Amino acid sequence: MTLFLCHMLDSGAAGLAAYGGGAAPLAGKGEDPFDSGMWDLHRAEYLGDPAGWQADRGMRVLAPRAAEDPAHVPVIVDATDVQGQVRRIVVTIDYSPLPLALVFHPGRAKPVLGFGVKYEIAGPIRATALADGVPARMGGAFVDAMGGGCTAPAAAHARPDWQEGFGQMRGRLWPATGRLRVSIRHPMDTGLADGIPAHHLTGLRLLDGQGDLIASVDLHEPIEENPALTFTLPPDLAAGPVRIEARDTNGYSFAGEVTA
Amino acid sequence: MISRRQALIGGTAALMLPLPARPAAPEYRLSPQQVADGVWLIEGARDSFGPRNGGAICNIVMLATHAGAIVIDTGGTARHGAALRRFADQKLGGVAASFNTHHHPDHWFGNQAFADRPIHVLPMTARLQAGNAQALSDGLYRILGGWMSGTAPLPGNPLPAGDGFGAGGRDLRLLALSGHSQADLALVDRATGTLIAGDLLFLDRAPSFPDADADMWRASLDLLAGLPASGIVPGHGPFARDSRAFVQTRAYLDGFHDRMARAADLGLAPSEALAAGPMPDFVGLGANPEEYRRAVIQRWRDFEDQALPLIGGSV
Ligand SMILES: [Zn+2]
Repeated sequence: MTLFLCHMLDSGAAGLAAYGGGAAPLAGKGEDPFDSGMWDLHRAEYLGDPAGWQADRGMRVLAPRAAEDPAHVPVIVDATDVQGQVRRIVVTIDYSPLPLALVFHPGRAKPVLGFGVKYEIAGPIRATALADGVPARMGGAFVDAMGGGCTAPAAAHARPDWQEGFGQMRGRLWPATGRLRVSIRHPMDTGLADGIPAHHLTGLRLLDGQGDLIASVDLHEPIEENPALTFTLPPDLAAGPVRIEARDTNGYSFAGEVTA
Repeated sequence: MISRRQALIGGTAALMLPLPARPAAPEYRLSPQQVADGVWLIEGARDSFGPRNGGAICNIVMLATHAGAIVIDTGGTARHGAALRRFADQKLGGVAASFNTHHHPDHWFGNQAFADRPIHVLPMTARLQAGNAQALSDGLYRILGGWMSGTAPLPGNPLPAGDGFGAGGRDLRLLALSGHSQADLALVDRATGTLIAGDLLFLDRAPSFPDADADMWRASLDLLAGLPASGIVPGHGPFARDSRAFVQTRAYLDGFHDRMARAADLGLAPSEALAAGPMPDFVGLGANPEEYRRAVIQRWRDFEDQALPLIGGSV
């Protein structure tokens, strides 16, 4: 079962199936379906070298086969079919100069997250689910890209009025499906572009009407400029309201609220 | 304009170094057909850029005149341009002048082979060609490999204001439009009434949207549809005597717009809209689903802000 919403478009379910449904290529136990040298390294560095990890076609990752725009590569991950209560989903990009894209703590939300990343070099993007009492489960997709995503300056810097609208938050809640989408206008500077220091969002969280935490995401440099995030909430929380809070490396804070 | 890398690939280094042991780039095979009196169409593959077609994906039109051919679009690589030039030289008495309908590379990366004669473009097209040559070329070298060898993009010369052009006894009406890109040139051959629409019209091949402005595009279609035409050459796809290309291009623009607006309004993420694939009526078009997927990425932000109200900001 997947919580992807492709089926809401005409023949979208067939389209999703034809696209492979977000499942990684088949691999044997303990084998990397992408056969890439970076996985061992990143598994140790960003996942604490978990014993018994496995590639899992139930850890779905939808991403374009070719980046088209290396500054905005849209991705959505769905760990609904991963066994156990998923506590964290760690997203890494194999050949990025900054491989760690985000860590998602679904908490009381569904283990589904949409986001966009910058891509520097063709290679796999991976989502690894860490669930209670279950070995780490990795899924992913190969994205062809010709680079410039992380080292190019944000498009905003090309405009003299780039700070106008900075921090602007847009969002909406769809109670029927539990969808919540939020976007924040932010340059997400990686620090790798000439003369532009790092300045990016570091985290975003969702809070319920009582102010209690629903879910949170730790955000890192590879996240796209003006990022949009997609969540899925269970019915009780999808009734809203949901408060959204975010912060960045320069001490700015951002907040907004969506209601049903 | 020409990078060191391009100069290296196209210039002295390629001539002086011994050739490495790699397969020679395959040849371009042209199948010109005369679709109206003195109007030659060399149809492109109804596909995306790829190693199978060598970038020969757009339609090339040559109009025979007493002074040689008027060439409309010059191909996707230097070698494609050279093959087209050979046809013009051998069958049509050489080249009188060339046009590039717009700045997308499949339409003008063959300019080098026509550089000894005037190459006319809309002024905005000239600027876009110069500004984007490097990025477009880098992308195509990566996709096409050896097919691109020797290609160093050469922008055209801005046309003076005016809506007519003549050479060797043939007269053209020029229409400066936009919508598929920021500047789209359409031409009408007055002798035969053939409309050469550039990428404002597609037929049996999915339209591409990297620089599209749907409203401007529709307005341009309205204007072109009002012209009397005996036959229509779309930018991609077959020659037709009826209005199919208009019907199909409009339906695709509207269908894509509706699908994106609906996806954004239902709370889909762009990756979901992409994976859902094209509108059912257009799944079988040439270059789909790839062109649809590219379009979702290129155009998603136009729809996303509409669907997401302002809810907050910096605090
Ligand atoms: Zn075009």
